[in-house]
Amino acid sequence: MEANGTPQSPAGDWRSYERMLLPPIQDLHKLDVYTKHGGYERLRRVLEDDDVAPDDITNEVKASGLTGRGGAGFPTGVKWTFMPEPDDRPRFLGVNGDESEPGTFKDRQVMEYNPHLMFEGILLAGYAMHIDTAYVYTRGEYTDWIALMAEQLENAYEAGYVGEDILGSDFSMDIVLHKGAGAYICGEETSLMESLEGKRGYPRYKPPFPAQKGIFSCPTTINNVETLAHVPLIVQEGGDAYSTIGAEDMPGAALYGMSGHVKQPGVYEYPTGMLLSDLIYDVCGGMARGEDLKAVVPGGSSVPPIRADQIDGLSMNDESLGEVGSRTGTFCPLVLDEETDMVSFTRRVAHFYQDETCGQCTPCREGTGWLENILARIDEGEGRMRDIDLILELCDNMDGGRTICAFADGAVGPIRAAVKRFRDEFEAKCEASVYPVSTDVSAGPDSAVAATE
Amino acid sequence: MPIVTIDGTTYEYEGDQKLLQFCLNQGIELPHFCYHPAMSIPANCRQCLVKVGMPKKDRETGEVELDDDGDPVIQFFPQLQASCTIDLQDGMVVETHRTSEEVEDAQTDNLEFLLANHPLDCPICDQAGHCPLQIQAYKYGPEGSRFEFRKVHKPKRVKLGPRVTLDAERCINCTRCTRFTDEISGSGQLSITNRGVKNYPMTAPGEEFDDPYSMNTIDICPVGALTSTDFRFKARIWEMSSTPSITTTNATGANCHYWVRDNQVLRITPRQNMKVNEYWLPDEDRLVYNKFNDNRPDGPHIRRDGTLAGANWQQAFAKAAALLGSADPERILFLGSAHATVEDNYLLTQLADAVGADAPRYIPHIEPGAGDDWLITDDKTPNAEGCERLGIQPIDEQLVGTRLAEGAYDLVYVLEDDPVGSGLCSADDLADTDVVLHYYNTTNETLPRATAALPAAMVVETVGTYVNQDGRAQRVRPAKEIQGVNRTLMMEMGTNREDEHGTPFDRWHNDENRINCKPSWEILPEVAKKLGEDLDYPKGPKQVMDEVQSTLEAFEGATYDAMGLKGTQLEDVEAGAAA
Ligand SMILES: Cc1cc2nc3c(=O)[nH]c(=O)nc-3n(C[C@H](O)[C@H](O)[C@H](O)COP(=O)(O)O)c2cc1C
Ligand code: SF4
Ligand code: FES
Repeated sequence: MEANGTPQSPAGDWRSYERMLLPPIQDLHKLDVYTKHGGYERLRRVLEDDDVAPDDITNEVKASGLTGRGGAGFPTGVKWTFMPEPDDRPRFLGVNGDESEPGTFKDRQVMEYNPHLMFEGILLAGYAMHIDTAYVYTRGEYTDWIALMAEQLENAYEAGYVGEDILGSDFSMDIVLHKGAGAYICGEETSLMESLEGKRGYPRYKPPFPAQKGIFSCPTTINNVETLAHVPLIVQEGGDAYSTIGAEDMPGAALYGMSGHVKQPGVYEYPTGMLLSDLIYDVCGGMARGEDLKAVVPGGSSVPPIRADQIDGLSMNDESLGEVGSRTGTFCPLVLDEETDMVSFTRRVAHFYQDETCGQCTPCREGTGWLENILARIDEGEGRMRDIDLILELCDNMDGGRTICAFADGAVGPIRAAVKRFRDEFEAKCEASVYPVSTDVSAGPDSAVAATE
Repeated sequence: MPIVTIDGTTYEYEGDQKLLQFCLNQGIELPHFCYHPAMSIPANCRQCLVKVGMPKKDRETGEVELDDDGDPVIQFFPQLQASCTIDLQDGMVVETHRTSEEVEDAQTDNLEFLLANHPLDCPICDQAGHCPLQIQAYKYGPEGSRFEFRKVHKPKRVKLGPRVTLDAERCINCTRCTRFTDEISGSGQLSITNRGVKNYPMTAPGEEFDDPYSMNTIDICPVGALTSTDFRFKARIWEMSSTPSITTTNATGANCHYWVRDNQVLRITPRQNMKVNEYWLPDEDRLVYNKFNDNRPDGPHIRRDGTLAGANWQQAFAKAAALLGSADPERILFLGSAHATVEDNYLLTQLADAVGADAPRYIPHIEPGAGDDWLITDDKTPNAEGCERLGIQPIDEQLVGTRLAEGAYDLVYVLEDDPVGSGLCSADDLADTDVVLHYYNTTNETLPRATAALPAAMVVETVGTYVNQDGRAQRVRPAKEIQGVNRTLMMEMGTNREDEHGTPFDRWHNDENRINCKPSWEILPEVAKKLGEDLDYPKGPKQVMDEVQSTLEAFEGATYDAMGLKGTQLEDVEAGAAA
């Protein structure tokens, strides 16, 4: 791995990478600009070329090795093959734009700057899977971008890219925008389906899987916004060529949503497999407050944080992050410097899950609140040493299939890892004499106490 | 036949079945809260976790791999599974808490979570004593709690509607109640509000939970979150005895339990009978319990010098007999009753025959449009079908009403009904007519006109048979004591009162609550005896019913043994035909 003294990046020569998902084109969100730059050409080619069968698209996506960008990293092409043979039931595509995971803000960029790429991806996916309707389920707070997408979708309908007999072919598909009402759990795919059906966003147990019984009990595939935006690029480049971009185990372009204590946070497009050190020190210009790095949460609040002393040579692909017990998740690293109180940080994360659990399953409903209670107590200097092991035990009692969906796993993964990897900080706060017991002294206005109120 | 192995025992099964229900059917207890056999499976309580494995198959050949002993190699799912959601598959191997420590621990952990925010106010909770959470917490739960924080506070004493009160803190979010209104009653009036530990069932703002079946949610709530506004805090479960019986509010013949303390009926709950009411009971069937306690008569009365005066039973029997003996049989009207049992109506028919009068008829009580094609019927009586099968026809109300008004009868003999109250005639119409009245409550509007008033035992005090609108014959048992000694009633009390949760017998004794009344099957033979007629059935209603079922084809097979606890379906035959 070592070349010229620096570890080689699976992202390859990322400095000369040319952006594909969010290319630097002025007003690309507008239909005419998009089509001027080759937009909807891939769709046209597929629909006009009699030799391109729906399965060919699926096979290209399979060959590209694209993995889902909603957080679970499941191979997209494989997921598409789960759809049953078409029968007389309608078939649906659920486009997951709920993007509510703390630290994750990259789908928004697609919806804002390149919505037609997503629409084109939706149409190609629809063609591949014989789907008649796509629902774009968007985080309710994204009001501006929902309005923007609605306008652009209207244009696409008028131009014949969406709707009946698209581009003169016999392929018809509708795209419907749907606004969420502000619940993180509605980003979980089965909960999203319930919510779309107008019900309370309670996840469904699986099986049956969405492909068997999804939206309105019909065959359904759920994909993330960014995932679908990759599809036109794959059709354009060819699956095999696309699979050579970035890290081998999860190839392609990636939108890195960088946040935390870095100088230039933001969304950056590079190949997958970027070294964490390149992202932090090069792309984002280093640590914001001049402090040393303490931890990185590589892909949204649900993935386990990594200690700074472990990030050497780590890259943004699951094979690499798996070695230190973490995951790429949503490809949105949160960077924490030495000033960060890991107990307060963990407490804040726990608060989020406590507040967002739908409350359906017992362990998740009760466990998330209990964990927050213990973490708050430790954070406020009133913890007992035994609390630390209790946290770990509660985590074990909540995840690993004890609940219907993966929310609980996402809630306890980071807490368990933070306690194990930064145990000294938790212990220090549990030492009776070290911290004063008053909340206003130990926590301070900037800490989680204020933030959680 | 496909097989599953549970805790080392192998069972055969047929068709598509869920693991939890299969276990319950086999008598293998698995702790659970949210699962209810009549409703969709939400799998949210997570209490029913078990370990599930399948025989390992060779990837290429598809053959089951065998170990050194020739037994199939079992591959267990890495995660525990909610048994309520698992479809049985041939060869499946299941380990419950009985054989797997992992499962046992998981179930305990789950109960620790369930109890974390539960108020644990069992000492003042209506549900205590038959609470699935309490019972399963004792059986499978942790010994103490490691939860050292203030519990979540939620609304208490919320009147969801006229009949159901919610204590949201006790709710464990099983969604049984919301699924009931969505899937069973169809009113859709309840849904869960809020998120996480703060959530609980609620109506839409400004709406009331006035579903005619609302009180079923109280029965299926696995904790004391939903309580009966009426019954709340009235009695502990173990102070009451419960008797399996049926309700008599309408022609459904819904199976129920009468809950009695100190010879007072305090509540009525459904009893499962998949052939009749499944698990459910309409609210109107439950709220009638007071009529068994209030306005009950105090012994027989006889009209002397124009006023009703207390008498003893022998005097009352003699009076009734004297009236029957002295009247012109052609000017006697016998009214049977769709409120009374088959046995009592049958005896009345015998009596009418003995005095040479016309066969009895009954007053129909139909409220057109009151029914709902489910458990509420237009017919507000429990035994019209039984009457018809005995050959007792409904009266032509117009005709009989006019004849009564014209004074066409010298004597009206009424079995457990109320001609005045039902609008058949006015009290004045009966001014010159003698009336023998078997009645339940002092609110009976015919009572002021009675010449001989004979208090009759009600459904909760008697033994007998009712036939519902679908021709199902079901027997009832005494749930409370009456005054006087009656061997049949005492035997039935001794053998039939189920005391699932409490003491074997109601230990509260307040003689005032024992009503001075008699079952009509005791009164009618006594009256006959005074007339010199033999209507003797020493073995009581059981013997009467034996005779009915062996002589009338319409009742064939309806012995007490055959009816048991769930009744027996009668053949569709012409009414009153001989067997
Ligand atoms: C609690 C929870 C929240 C989730 N939120 C989102 C979300 O906001 N956006 C998203 O794309 N996927 C989210 N997911 C993942 C989805 O369930 C699903 O895996 C994904 O949308 C599939 O798309 P992909 O295969 O293209 O990644 C969430 C999962 C869980 C368990
Ligand atoms: S009130 Fe009772 S039935 Fe309804 S969700 Fe809560 S525990 Fe379940
Ligand atoms: S019974 Fe509640 S999860 Fe199975």
